[in-house]
Amino acid sequence: MALTVPHPCGVVPSRPGYAGPFAAVVRRELRIFLRYPSWVVGMIIWPVLFPLIYLFGSRALAGPEGQGLSAFARLAGTTNVQGFIVIGTTAWMWLNMTLWAVGTSLRTDQVRGVLESNWLTPVPRFVLLLGTAASHAVLALAVLVLSLVEFRVLLGIHFSPSVSGAAAVIALTIPWVYGLAMAFAAVVLRFKEANAMVYFVRGVFMVFAGITFPLSVLPDWMARIAAYMPLTHTIEAFRAALLQGAGPAALRVHLAFLFWSGLLLLALGYYVFRTVDRLMRRVGTVGHH
Amino acid sequence: MNRSVPDNAVELERLSKRFSIRTMRENGARRRAVQKEILAVDGIDLVIRRGELFGLLGPNGAGKTTTIRMLCTLLIPTSGRARVWGFDVAEQADEVRRRLGVVLAGERSIYWKLTARENLEYFAALYQVPRDLARPRIADLLERVGLTARADDLVERYSTGMRQRLALIKAMVHDPPVLLLDEPTTGLDPQAARNIRDLIRHLHHSEGKTIILTTHYMEEADQLSERIGIIDQGRIIALDSPQALKRSLGQGSVLRFELVGGKDDLEGSLRTIPGVHTVTVERPADDGTRELILHLNDPGAALPRALDAISRGGGQVRHLQMEETSLEDVFIALTGRRLRD
Repeated sequence: MALTVPHPCGVVPSRPGYAGPFAAVVRRELRIFLRYPSWVVGMIIWPVLFPLIYLFGSRALAGPEGQGLSAFARLAGTTNVQGFIVIGTTAWMWLNMTLWAVGTSLRTDQVRGVLESNWLTPVPRFVLLLGTAASHAVLALAVLVLSLVEFRVLLGIHFSPSVSGAAAVIALTIPWVYGLAMAFAAVVLRFKEANAMVYFVRGVFMVFAGITFPLSVLPDWMARIAAYMPLTHTIEAFRAALLQGAGPAALRVHLAFLFWSGLLLLALGYYVFRTVDRLMRRVGTVGHH
Repeated sequence: MNRSVPDNAVELERLSKRFSIRTMRENGARRRAVQKEILAVDGIDLVIRRGELFGLLGPNGAGKTTTIRMLCTLLIPTSGRARVWGFDVAEQADEVRRRLGVVLAGERSIYWKLTARENLEYFAALYQVPRDLARPRIADLLERVGLTARADDLVERYSTGMRQRLALIKAMVHDPPVLLLDEPTTGLDPQAARNIRDLIRHLHHSEGKTIILTTHYMEEADQLSERIGIIDQGRIIALDSPQALKRSLGQGSVLRFELVGGKDDLEGSLRTIPGVHTVTVERPADDGTRELILHLNDPGAALPRALDAISRGGGQVRHLQMEETSLEDVFIALTGRRLRD
């Protein structure tokens, strides 16, 4: 038998670093997403439809002459009810898309059978996860911008944005979202089920973070919990940046909270995922579905 | 990392894997869940030389896939050690992954919503192959398996055989020295399976790849492997070349009788016939027939005497068949069961 050793070390020369694998995961996710036209259509339509429920509800509740608006302004600090609701719901949807994308993408790969192919490569698993999250963050950001433009043009909702303020909120929101996304991916990996967890956490976020109402209407105990949720600070800071033109300095309390919760949740998410990953390698159920 | 090329591609030392599974137990009228320990791999010692085409043959549940999954770092061994290309699978998983090409779930191990080229580019990036090296290599791999003309079609439009070929070259995109192929032809039509086998032969003979193949198709293991490990209940119960394994049952043929009736000690009397190497009796079927399998060194001398012994023992021969010894016969002789049981 002729024996030809392919390479002195047995593998083709490899390029160090994880930028290439990270970019490859982002490209893969975007390509697959764009090959489902219904997903694209849904992504454009749903963020506009969803806030309309609350917008029309708020018009009805304001009374025929809009008397309720002054009461709302006292509680929310703005008379721009439509802007208040649109920013709350749009930010919530943006976070949802990014937050759940990691877990659901992991689950989809598990069911498709490609998860193990990915995990057999020498790239750290959190690079694969973050690549997935990044691709959905890109899509979600496009949705965010598109939605705000659509609301401006179609419904005449007025925004007074501080670009630097909004950019700072986005930048400091991404770490806590990624941390939570990794923890969520670990849950999916362990329990092979995404939906129950998604609905539970989504519901909690919706109620506690005040996406359509000012937090001052919450009972005290709920308001105290809301104050420790990073989503609350993201939405509040977004509203201030986009409706009142608040810059990073004016947003420093929210930004500081987001910074520290980002560090904490990233570390926690990484630890939980590593622990569950090792458990899965012991029990051998990575590819099970 | 540069290091000398090892003589052994794979080394297993008392490798074991124990699983704890939940099972339901009847307790009177009630059922309750209990934990049950299963020893899937039981202290395997094995060395696979560099450049060898090694077949791991065994029935479903024998421990083949568990062994492969430990080798490819998806599972952590309970005890013992496994090294691939000199690297420990538990301690140096990344180095092991760089040197392994793995086909586990066959056609499901690739993205159907991407094209073949996009799949290969994607996995090349994950294996950190520089782009200028990846492009010509991908073109070469596609050409080799006859997928160049369809390289830019979505994989969902491929036949099962095409997907399986793509899964195989996906495992080679980083040019690994060791390939692990878990049941690579399962579910394929005969022509597609033949194409995959030809490709495996080519990879072995022309490129010197070390290939570890698991299969429950004995003909496939027989045709492809230089050495075969027969695995049953987590242990390697025979290890040799296919020819040597078959020779272990004698030089000649296999004689299969389908019988009705016959004394219980028929097996003993057949064993004393000159020219009979081993005798295996299978469990009786529902209709009362049972199969006797005789491995013969001298079929000409043994056949008339065997027929005579059966007749004297009160047995009636329903069917008789003489054939060449196969690996299935080796497995039956070793375990008393068929591979597909």
